[in-house]
Amino acid sequence: MYSYQHFIDYFKNAPAIIQVVWVMIVLFMVIIIILIIYLKLLRSRLRKNEKIVAQYQNEYESNLITYLYSGNEEEEISAEQQLIVEKLKSCVPDKFKRRVVVSTLLRLRNEISGEMAESIQKLYFQTGLINYALSSLKSKKWYVVAKGIRELAQFHVKEVNDQIVIHVNNPNKEIRKEVQLYLVTLFHFEGLKFLDVLQTQLSEWDQIQLLEVLQRFDEQEIPNINPWLKSKNDSVVIFAIKLAKIYNQFEAKDTLLDLLEHRHKKIRVEAIQVLSHLQVYEAKEVLKNKFNELSLEEQIAFFKLLENVFESSDESFLQEHIQHKNFEIKVSALKIFKLLNIEKFHSFKRLLSAPKDAEIIEFIENN
Amino acid sequence: MSDAKKIVLAEDNSTLSLLLKFRLEKEGYKLLIAADGKEAIELIEQHDPELILTDIMMPFISGLEVISHVRNKLNKQTPIIVFSAAGQEEMVLKAFNLGANDFMGKPFSPNELVIRVKRLLR
Repeated sequence: MYSYQHFIDYFKNAPAIIQVVWVMIVLFMVIIIILIIYLKLLRSRLRKNEKIVAQYQNEYESNLITYLYSGNEEEEISAEQQLIVEKLKSCVPDKFKRRVVVSTLLRLRNEISGEMAESIQKLYFQTGLINYALSSLKSKKWYVVAKGIRELAQFHVKEVNDQIVIHVNNPNKEIRKEVQLYLVTLFHFEGLKFLDVLQTQLSEWDQIQLLEVLQRFDEQEIPNINPWLKSKNDSVVIFAIKLAKIYNQFEAKDTLLDLLEHRHKKIRVEAIQVLSHLQVYEAKEVLKNKFNELSLEEQIAFFKLLENVFESSDESFLQEHIQHKNFEIKVSALKIFKLLNIEKFHSFKRLLSAPKDAEIIEFIENN
Repeated sequence: MSDAKKIVLAEDNSTLSLLLKFRLEKEGYKLLIAADGKEAIELIEQHDPELILTDIMMPFISGLEVISHVRNKLNKQTPIIVFSAAGQEEMVLKAFNLGANDFMGKPFSPNELVIRVKRLLR
């Protein structure tokens, strides 16, 4: 009691700043205690939820396996399968249970192929889960729509293509991304037709994801990319250039040459790079004739192209640029000279006597 | 049933484990299921199975470590089939270098797995 009174007296007589500090300490302690209690409650709720999910998952897993193994060739659907369908049908109106059913089906759908994968898809239709995914496409919330599209892609529901395609130019980028992945995952290269009508920008990340999906397929026969190379949407043109490079689209050579006149420098540079990859000799003459009008990036890209398609007739052009002020161009010119005319290359040792140039020559000589 | 050949299946996807257990037990094998590499090693040491089926990516101990344990520590030549997902080609090569006998890329057909299991246990 004495110490309690002593503390009150001490607090009352203390300077204002000390009083504020004490109030803050008490306040923070109360907040910390409340937060600890909240976290404890949250954790126990999450654990309880986890247990319930595991319980439902076990139940649905065994239902699914029984469904898959109780079919017979005589009937479209056996009595046992019908019972399971009815049971799952009664669960799916509940949002929580529906989520567990869908995740259980997907866990297996993603791991197996063949008849059983088809049976899981059939079950997805029979239980009416597809109707929930389709109704989510009409939602006003973007994440509900995106999730619905992703689910339809994961279950390989090709039949609703028309309802998905209308979202190709949706203002929300997540929805657009899911639409693109749906089309490419299910229709492979044919799915890329959305590029014909795409008005929004295809981000670098979207492009990487599409290319990653495309490379999973066995058939690698790519449709005509010329219309996309001529697209008014610059991101589509850039993506088409990537396709031309990855799938060695030599057939698109003429359109790629036209891109050397494109209004955007980035596209012109990328076009030079892909023409270099495809070793298109015509590009060399076009670029050589207007070399001085090119931007520095284009000039560097052109010299990289020249490393792939040089001929002895390029010697005089190269000689003009061995003293270029840009390091990359100088190195490229010397590298080509080493391959083209080794005697002349050695003669540059006298011409380029600055220490930095000597280092470049020595490096090229030894590599 | 006591004469049934024992197979240890190490797979962290419980739904897939259950499906394969049903399928392979239908063919007359006895399946021992492990949810991770650690459990798999315990089952292998306890039961000395005739075949091991293992996923590559698993919690605690990976499929590669399971193979290495069987081949290098237990010095057993038990046939091993590895499951791998797309993009794990390098892992599959490592698995073969460690002594795996066969591999199946996910998604795979359970019927095809049965054929491969039968071939290895002939």
